[in-house]
Amino acid sequence: MRWLDIKEGFRNFWKDFKSIKFGLFGLFLLFIFIVMVIINPYIVPFPNASSRWRDITHWEDNPVSAPPVWVNWFSSVKRAPSTIIKEYTFTEEKKGNLTLNKLIFEYEYFYDLPPLDIIFHSYVVGSPVIILSMERPDGQVITLTKRVISKIAGKDIRISIGNDSRTESYNFGMKYENPQQNRIERELIKPTKILFAEAKEGILVKPSSLQGTYKIMVDIILPSPNDQVSKSTLFISGGVSGWLGTDSAKRDIWSGIVAGVKWALLIGLLTAFTSVSIGVIFGVVSAYLGGWQDSLMQRIFEIFVGVPLLPVLIVMSAIFRPNIWTLIIMMSCFFWVGPVKTVRSMGLQIKEETYIEAAKAFGASSSRIIFRHMIPLLIPYSFASMALYVPSAIVYEASISLLGLGDATIVTWGQILHDALRGGAVINGLWWWVIPPGLFIALMGMTFAFIGFAMDKILHPKLRTR
Amino acid sequence: MYWRYCLKRIIYGLITFIILIFIFSTLFNTTMEKTLKSQIEEEIRAETLKMDTKMTPEEMTHFIAERRTFKQHLYHLDKPIWNRIVWRAINVLSLNFGKATIMKSSAGETDVWEIISECLPRTILLFTTAICINIILGLLLGLKKAQKAGGFMDKLTSIGTMVVYGMPSWWLGMLVIMFFAYQLRLFPSGSLHSIPPPTGLAYYIDLLYHMALPVLTLVVIGFWGSSYLIRNIVLGILQEDYIMATRTRGIPERKVLYGHAMRTAAPPIVTMALLSLLASVGGNIIFEGIFSWPGLGNLYWISIEQNDIPVLMGNLFITTALYMAGLVILDLIYGFLDPRIKVGGRR
Repeated sequence: MRWLDIKEGFRNFWKDFKSIKFGLFGLFLLFIFIVMVIINPYIVPFPNASSRWRDITHWEDNPVSAPPVWVNWFSSVKRAPSTIIKEYTFTEEKKGNLTLNKLIFEYEYFYDLPPLDIIFHSYVVGSPVIILSMERPDGQVITLTKRVISKIAGKDIRISIGNDSRTESYNFGMKYENPQQNRIERELIKPTKILFAEAKEGILVKPSSLQGTYKIMVDIILPSPNDQVSKSTLFISGGVSGWLGTDSAKRDIWSGIVAGVKWALLIGLLTAFTSVSIGVIFGVVSAYLGGWQDSLMQRIFEIFVGVPLLPVLIVMSAIFRPNIWTLIIMMSCFFWVGPVKTVRSMGLQIKEETYIEAAKAFGASSSRIIFRHMIPLLIPYSFASMALYVPSAIVYEASISLLGLGDATIVTWGQILHDALRGGAVINGLWWWVIPPGLFIALMGMTFAFIGFAMDKILHPKLRTR
Repeated sequence: MYWRYCLKRIIYGLITFIILIFIFSTLFNTTMEKTLKSQIEEEIRAETLKMDTKMTPEEMTHFIAERRTFKQHLYHLDKPIWNRIVWRAINVLSLNFGKATIMKSSAGETDVWEIISECLPRTILLFTTAICINIILGLLLGLKKAQKAGGFMDKLTSIGTMVVYGMPSWWLGMLVIMFFAYQLRLFPSGSLHSIPPPTGLAYYIDLLYHMALPVLTLVVIGFWGSSYLIRNIVLGILQEDYIMATRTRGIPERKVLYGHAMRTAAPPIVTMALLSLLASVGGNIIFEGIFSWPGLGNLYWISIEQNDIPVLMGNLFITTALYMAGLVILDLIYGFLDPRIKVGGRR
């Protein structure tokens, strides 16, 4: 079989394929997945999600278990979404050795539920004093917190209003609250709820939100001219966050899902390719050789058929703790049996063709006959079965990860689901944590099922509709 | 000739199973011996605590060393590695899996075989029920699809097959629990029966009530695939010449379908049913863990969480045995239904 024949065969195949709508749809989905892998850094807020998935410091400014942003569209109670405010007005004043910096961040708040936390981040050299205060739309100014920093040689500091301004916001609330009726312990209050509430009775127990522009003012006192504070940013960690919300470890789920696409594609395609290649070669060789070699190979095949795949993979993963590459090898070791039976029977037919006999008469070696004359005929079948093996490889990996036996250095959809199960997402109804990963597994499976079934339809014209 | 075929198939199955057990014993030898050694140390420590305390430290160390050699001899740990592997494989084949490190059966036994044999019937119950419903639904839908192949319903359900093709059953299980058990509170979220279990007829009703959600999930995932396969099988047969001949004889279409086509379709459909049961064991088993259905699949979850190696191993051996038995039975039934195999005496 020459290269030209393969090209011609492929062209015919494509002509058939084009007429099957769901096959084209599958290709389209696959295209979208590949595009997602390529433009990954531009469509997610945390492009390093794959490498730093288990690094809690990478996610610390996100809210805990926040629903997706678009929940606001369907809900009558609007929650403040997570945002990052990088712009501020800056004024500087010098008094002798001291330098006074004043940063004013403006936050437009037009929601019903306040953000969970407001976090100030800055890069600090020396020993400055940082004072955070807030001017509310009703003109009240509240000093939130004060941080005295002693001699650091350049480090990122993090001030969380939610944690550090508990006393101040409690005191602010107590000015308006009726202490006889509404008593509440200081430890039980949520600072942001008070800070973003109307100043009237009930501010502590039943706050109603005060909408408008809030100014968060940061006064920085720099005692010596060498000290500096730079790269100041304000993180609003909102009640809703990102396209798919966050999990209980504050991780952005959308970033994790998109990071999982490339791993799913890798696991699926590589496993399917290796195992189907092995299976096809094994089947053809077995059919071509015949005799005792065929019987021996069939016995080996039968041993592998008798292996219950998932249990063996689970036990092997539990004991050997594989990384993603060894897992792919392990899966390929058992997946290859799938196409063998069909390929062998096809091989037995091809073997009897006259051109094989002719090749033999010319003195062609067995390997030449197998690889040049027999396997090319099986290529369409191989591609169809490869496409249908991709989903099962992905599901097997996900199942192993679900048990907590996955590769801990990467992030796959199965691992997100494992965390969801562990983090009580099912019990607490955190649907944005449970639905998307599985949906993506299903979508990926669907993609390859569409492609595979379309190929299958072309290869088995007998099952074509009458 | 059929019995000869049976015998041959069973012997083949047994040989394959024995080879597999040997392979497993070799693969997991190191881990299993490590667990065994720590179990021996544990036993010796328990023994020394029971001894009278008048022993001098020298006597004590001597005693411990003596017990250790004795136990290591007992468990063949002093033998060369091949000897140990063979000994372990033989142990497994005689259902002697040793003792669990942490886990206990509901009767309080630590014997691995006790723990597993308790779970086995529950797994079989759950998956057979689901497969039976699956096949019934699949037959109803598949025949309709084959009759009007290419019609609207055929296309729609074929798309459905592809949509659920790569959907993990356990994920659907999670969603179903989230919605039906925690939001609507219609069904229990898991386990075999309520606590305390009711007696008499109420027990079985309670069992069915607890089975409803897992079975529903398995059916929703499974019946698309089975209906698609049945459609393909029946459609293939409907295109045979003899069906054409019956049609030309004027036999009503209903009779052609149920009387003639179905008779030929029976063997592959039975095979398919058994195969999907086996596929459940081979690929779906951890599904039980989501519903905390206390079967073999759930046992995998627990033994991994508690790091109980003997239970994990025993579970693997039993699952493999179950799987192999299923494969053999499949061939036997197929041979029984397909007369060509009976006459030929060969596969």
